[in-house]
Amino acid sequence: MSSGTSSSSSRVGHTAGAAESGRVPFSFARLRLIAGNTFLEAVRQKLFNFLLLLAVALVASAQFFREFNFGSSELKFIADFGFGALVFFGSTLTIATTAQLFFSEIENRTALTLLAKPIWRSEFIFGKWLGVFAVVGVFCAVTIGLLLGLLFYRENALMNLHPEAFEAGRIVNYADILLVGVLQWLKFGVLTAIVLLIASFSNTNLYTVVTGFFVLVICHLQYLARDAYGNIDNLLVRLPVMLISYVFPNFQLFNLADHAAQGAGVEYDVAARVGLYGLAYIAVMGGLAVYSFRNREI
Amino acid sequence: MKFDLAAFRPLRTGLVVVAALTVAGLALRPVESPAWESLRADQPALKLDSIQGALGQGVTVGLLGGFRAIVADFFWLKTNSVWGDNDLPATQTYVHLVTAIDPRPLYFWLNGSRMIAYDMPNWRIQAAGGYDAVPQSVQRKFDEEQSAVAVDYLKSGLGYHPDEPLLYIEIANVYLNRLKDNATAAEYYLKAAQQPDAPHYAARIYAELLRRLGRNREAYDWLKKTYAELPKGGDASFTALPDVVLERIRELEQELGIPESEAYQP
Repeated sequence: MSSGTSSSSSRVGHTAGAAESGRVPFSFARLRLIAGNTFLEAVRQKLFNFLLLLAVALVASAQFFREFNFGSSELKFIADFGFGALVFFGSTLTIATTAQLFFSEIENRTALTLLAKPIWRSEFIFGKWLGVFAVVGVFCAVTIGLLLGLLFYRENALMNLHPEAFEAGRIVNYADILLVGVLQWLKFGVLTAIVLLIASFSNTNLYTVVTGFFVLVICHLQYLARDAYGNIDNLLVRLPVMLISYVFPNFQLFNLADHAAQGAGVEYDVAARVGLYGLAYIAVMGGLAVYSFRNREI
Repeated sequence: MKFDLAAFRPLRTGLVVVAALTVAGLALRPVESPAWESLRADQPALKLDSIQGALGQGVTVGLLGGFRAIVADFFWLKTNSVWGDNDLPATQTYVHLVTAIDPRPLYFWLNGSRMIAYDMPNWRIQAAGGYDAVPQSVQRKFDEEQSAVAVDYLKSGLGYHPDEPLLYIEIANVYLNRLKDNATAAEYYLKAAQQPDAPHYAARIYAELLRRLGRNREAYDWLKKTYAELPKGGDASFTALPDVVLERIRELEQELGIPESEAYQP
């Protein structure tokens, strides 16, 4: 690190420390400002627009792919397709945008200017989180809105074509699909907090993105460790497996899309538990990202 | 050498993060567990015995999500293309790949197993010179080998759909039609008939196989039990065929020499 940067970082460290020691109280207004700025920066990015456009185009084109529904009904196929676009592009958007927006502040030195002011590092981290969460929220709202519209349109068409199949009423439960969309958004919120935690100690954007994807996969496989450690006799193997099952959140828990797409119905107490689980992890991961970021020299 | 405590700061931060996440994981387990048990009960793919299968499913569900359906559909088209070319290795590989990507639709399991059990022995016989040139024993060997692959494939399907009667029926049909093994076919028809929402014909065919095996008494008892549970009116009776079942009960009574006074009274 150059001497100039060193002096900046020590100055930043001092100022931030002063802010957090109580002379400047924590401010939601400043947090909102950082979040608003992050949101604006994100929606101006080509990546966001590209992924949003791609997801929208894919969901909208689902009805043209419906001839491929070899193994399932048309409506289930469309729902699957929509949730596929939401999960795949949503995860990519969350990881890439969070890492990019965080490191653009570091690389452009705007973080130095920002943190030289009396701003808490928690305001910075949670501001970033809120900004990305809002961007991903827009993405989820557009994708789910389009999916709901498409399902409604096709269901109406099918009801006219085959009224006998709909004697018991509509097949698609639109409230469930909306609920699944909200839970996916919450999962992206947890993922954003995880990426911020990684970014708080990482040195490069690329490392953060790659590690973010690895952690995403691990979180989806966490349930294997969760189920396996009870059956392992060797203590040396059992302890690390048990640790993995506790350290990483279980992302399969948010996978309620299959239920909604099959019209099987989402149990609301399950959804509430998943929601609480997601919110708790956002708080924990966010708090740890703040802790790690406070120990970082910028 | 001077001991620099600051050099250990990243390690300390890392340890604090891991410790805090472990505590959070422990604290949140009571919130997570009931929801997870409920979800897992409805998704057999999440409780596979095979760790490899479970790993594959975890990754595909996590990364592809609902796109599994369209990706599997495209590979199913490819499967049909190589199947049309009688390309055995490619067909067998694609059949397995399709269900590895999306194990949910039964369509893939049933049709994939039929390609393996019914078409592939013919391809192998043709490749070896045709039905006239290939000895019966070799033809039988091809049938047995391909049937074994198909049955294994269908049994892996049961890992995802443990209560699915159509998979049991498909296994039974392989034993019945390809291997002419009535006893094993009967076993699987019985399993099919015992599943919830089993088609009514599974119970009838099980009884018929028992008759072929000479186990008329068992067939008679089974049909009596089946008849008592069949719907006797409405749309359901079109597939349940209670009259046919009763007719078979009467035939068996004659074959078993059951006196009229002891005959089954519906």
